[in-house]
Amino acid sequence: MEFLAYFGDVFTPINFGLLLLGTIGGLILGATPGLSPTMAVALLIPFTFRLEPAQGLILLGAAYTSTVAGGAVSAILLKIPGAPANIATTLDGHTMAQKGQGARALQLSFIASAIGGVFGVLLLIFLTPVLAKWALAFGPSHLFWLAILGVTVIGSLDSSSVVKGLLSGCIGLWLATIGFDDIMGAQRFIFHPAVSGGINVIPALIGLFAIPQVITMFAKGRVSLDAEVLTVEKHPIRDAFREVFRRSRALSIGTLTGSVIGLIPGVGGQIAGLVAYDQSKKMSPERDKFGTGHSEGVIAAESANNAMVGPSLVPLLTLSIPGSPTAAVLLGGLLIHGIFPGSDLFDNNPDVAWTFINSMLIGQILMCIFGLYVAGLAAKVAQVPNAVMAAIVLGLAVFGSYSVQNSMGDVYVMMALGTGMYFLERFGFSAAPLVLGLILGPIAEANFIQGSMIANATSSVGQYFFTGPLNLTLITVVVASIAYSVWMELRSRRYTTKDDAVKKEEAIS
Amino acid sequence: MKTLLAAAALGLTTLATGAFADGHESFPERPIMMMVSYGAGGATDFQARIVTMTAGNEDALGMPIAIINKPGAGGRVGWNWFATQADADGYTLGAYNIPHFIAQSIEGGVEYSADSFEPIANWGADPAVFVVGADSEFNSMADVVDYAKANPGKLTFSGAGLFVGHHIAALQLEKVAGVKLAYIPSNKGGAGAMKSVIAGEVLGGVNNLSDAFRAQEAGNVKILGVFDLERNEFLPDVPTLKEQGFDIDNASVNFRGVMVPKGTPQPIIDKLAATVPTMFENSRVAGKMKAGGSPMHIMTRDEVLAMWAAREETLKELLAGL
Amino acid sequence: MTDLPRTQHIIASGVVAAVGVAVAFISYTQEPAAAFLFPRMISTVFVVLALWTFGKALMGRTKVGNGLDSRAMRNILPGLIVALVLVYWAAKGLGFYTATTIAFFILLSLYDPAPHSEVKSWIKRALITAGFLAVMYGLFAGLLNVFTPREIFF
Repeated sequence: MEFLAYFGDVFTPINFGLLLLGTIGGLILGATPGLSPTMAVALLIPFTFRLEPAQGLILLGAAYTSTVAGGAVSAILLKIPGAPANIATTLDGHTMAQKGQGARALQLSFIASAIGGVFGVLLLIFLTPVLAKWALAFGPSHLFWLAILGVTVIGSLDSSSVVKGLLSGCIGLWLATIGFDDIMGAQRFIFHPAVSGGINVIPALIGLFAIPQVITMFAKGRVSLDAEVLTVEKHPIRDAFREVFRRSRALSIGTLTGSVIGLIPGVGGQIAGLVAYDQSKKMSPERDKFGTGHSEGVIAAESANNAMVGPSLVPLLTLSIPGSPTAAVLLGGLLIHGIFPGSDLFDNNPDVAWTFINSMLIGQILMCIFGLYVAGLAAKVAQVPNAVMAAIVLGLAVFGSYSVQNSMGDVYVMMALGTGMYFLERFGFSAAPLVLGLILGPIAEANFIQGSMIANATSSVGQYFFTGPLNLTLITVVVASIAYSVWMELRSRRYTTKDDAVKKEEAIS
Repeated sequence: MKTLLAAAALGLTTLATGAFADGHESFPERPIMMMVSYGAGGATDFQARIVTMTAGNEDALGMPIAIINKPGAGGRVGWNWFATQADADGYTLGAYNIPHFIAQSIEGGVEYSADSFEPIANWGADPAVFVVGADSEFNSMADVVDYAKANPGKLTFSGAGLFVGHHIAALQLEKVAGVKLAYIPSNKGGAGAMKSVIAGEVLGGVNNLSDAFRAQEAGNVKILGVFDLERNEFLPDVPTLKEQGFDIDNASVNFRGVMVPKGTPQPIIDKLAATVPTMFENSRVAGKMKAGGSPMHIMTRDEVLAMWAAREETLKELLAGL
Repeated sequence: MTDLPRTQHIIASGVVAAVGVAVAFISYTQEPAAAFLFPRMISTVFVVLALWTFGKALMGRTKVGNGLDSRAMRNILPGLIVALVLVYWAAKGLGFYTATTIAFFILLSLYDPAPHSEVKSWIKRALITAGFLAVMYGLFAGLLNVFTPREIFF
């Protein structure tokens, strides 16, 4: 209960002001396509030079929590995930927005985020020593199986064909191998100088999601103004709270999956939302509604995203090992003030550590309040005319993908992937599995190579990858996931396209 | 609209002054960017951000330096970009890591060599150290080498990648002690390599002194030896490899500094070479570096040129035996 | 009309299968073998799945995807050309802000349903363009310190 003693520090005028600044700024940056949480936090580091250690960390912690949640805004309204973590949110969230329920989707996502986030931070407060051991239990062989588990999720992710889902995933896995091989340093598939540094995930994410949206808006042509404007249904916040708690299955699956996966160094954040989405789909009696604007999808994905924030800091705060790129940047923010994270951090600098953690707790709640306020305004985005929207999204995509590395090559890659994706989507391929392949490919490959090197030096590859309780558990889950996808394909109750699925769903209800 | 007009006016002014300044007396006229070929939060990125934080001061460059990360393949992605695509106008700086980029260029498969870049100044020297988990049975380098002799090729130990300082240190150890080791390169840099030591996935590891110092403070690892000529001020109790009977020099020490692409105008190089070392000497920079456990080592352009040449020779010799 | 998507599906899945075969060919012939181990594993699965899809398309049993229709294509073409010119030439050639301003204005003129004969609608378009660019400049140049090619104007 030690953390309660430091709650007062969060509410000093300067600290609370920084907390507000970080939260609001984070929401805006998170909602801008191309600005991932890692970038937002890295951009803020110079500002913390001049602040006290605790103040700097409050700013960084608040920005981290609210950029993760802010990414949902563009995911829902524009179908452009602000960061890889928000991919799952697009699947149901954007469909809801298309039906005029943008305000409802945003409210659900912010409430679910806050509940997941508070749970994650509470885990960080009470279970840190236990969790630290769990985070270290994952060696190369386990991370490899975990990445494979992520790949198998691909097949059942979108409500189109399993084969095409897996094929999209394969394209993503191949795109990930372009550039320098991360371990050997060999050059692979470099057919144009723009890809000599490999395909960066953020520009690819922008291209694959934003450009097909832009082209789809073009396809509607010069239609008259009144025919196109979507009505935005007002949605009382009270109802949103009631709905989140009514969907307690999705909420608890999302929160738990997010916290558990968030712990695992190197994999967590990016796939937590997708795995949670997939799990709650498989366990829901209304699984056929997923992908058609079903509220469970949004709740599961967003609660998982924010639940991961707290646990993802466990390896950093206890072992000084940054488990995610964002945690690595936060480590820099600590070191600049001469604070070394480690098991004795809470003994040596309790005022800094606890104030930081408390501010994340309060930050989650502030984020929810501002988010709900923004939801009402932001949902009006759906009323922006097509032509203006297409031009704005294109402009943002160009600037956003350039700003990641100040690289023109990234912009070329973004546009090429996006244009290609539009045509692929017309033939039943989808962007979400492709991006997932792009993210998981390097994780699977690097851990496979490292694992084999260790295995060759000590025992055998078979023994290293296929024995031990954790390996066997993961393999069982992988096999179950594949079996489920095959069963779904055979049962063949899939719809021809997402549009048809949505129409059918509307006809029933 | 107002912003845009203001911006337009600003743009025209910049254009005009740019056209009239014939030499490079007024350099720099706009903010400068510095490319770091490792990810945000890594040791190089962290130190680069500290040493450049005073660039905007009037007594330094008078313009801020923004850090751009281009990570991948042990730094190859960033340096390839820097050698082939970066503008040689003085507004694009890069951070170098020695021996990494020289070793990579000797090994081949990249588009740069020591001749592709012009050094400006050196800010830090981070020796490699040998670490083992806190509960490891090894207590000295002799224990490690004895184990490796008894189990050839079975002593697994991690490092930040192939042909970086850690790998060079590992190669030197193998050569001097006459043993066969299993070096496991990490794709996540020093932090990833350190994690596998703490988690017990490997028996030991070579890592940066600055990172290992913090991990030892936190009680997670033991440091058995320093790959340098002298003991380090941060670790006065840890003996060098030489003291433990292994004849290893400082070829693996990770020197970090600033460079520009070849072809940058000489007056700009001279101006940078004169200003940047004094910028590193700022007391605020030194304070933050010390607080972060990062050893500083300031060298001027001429000293760095000599160091690059010497390092290239030793590395060629070492890597030829591979 | 019913046969059009079928032919399109054959072409689309054929292109994907061709890419798959090319990737597999490169993976199995390039050296060093150790670095291409993982691409070989991926490309094998890639080719199998791509050929399966291609076979299904040939038999006309593709279930998902609406294909392309000519009316939509006619609508897309001008906008897509503007976007491609912006990204692959203008952004670097004219500078980010100039190029985006021009492209933005052209796109509005092409797709905005307001009549082209009214002066009022042209003023509105110009104002929206200026507003957007001002926000972009404030965010990227002002706040985030991103240096785009050629700065503001040329």
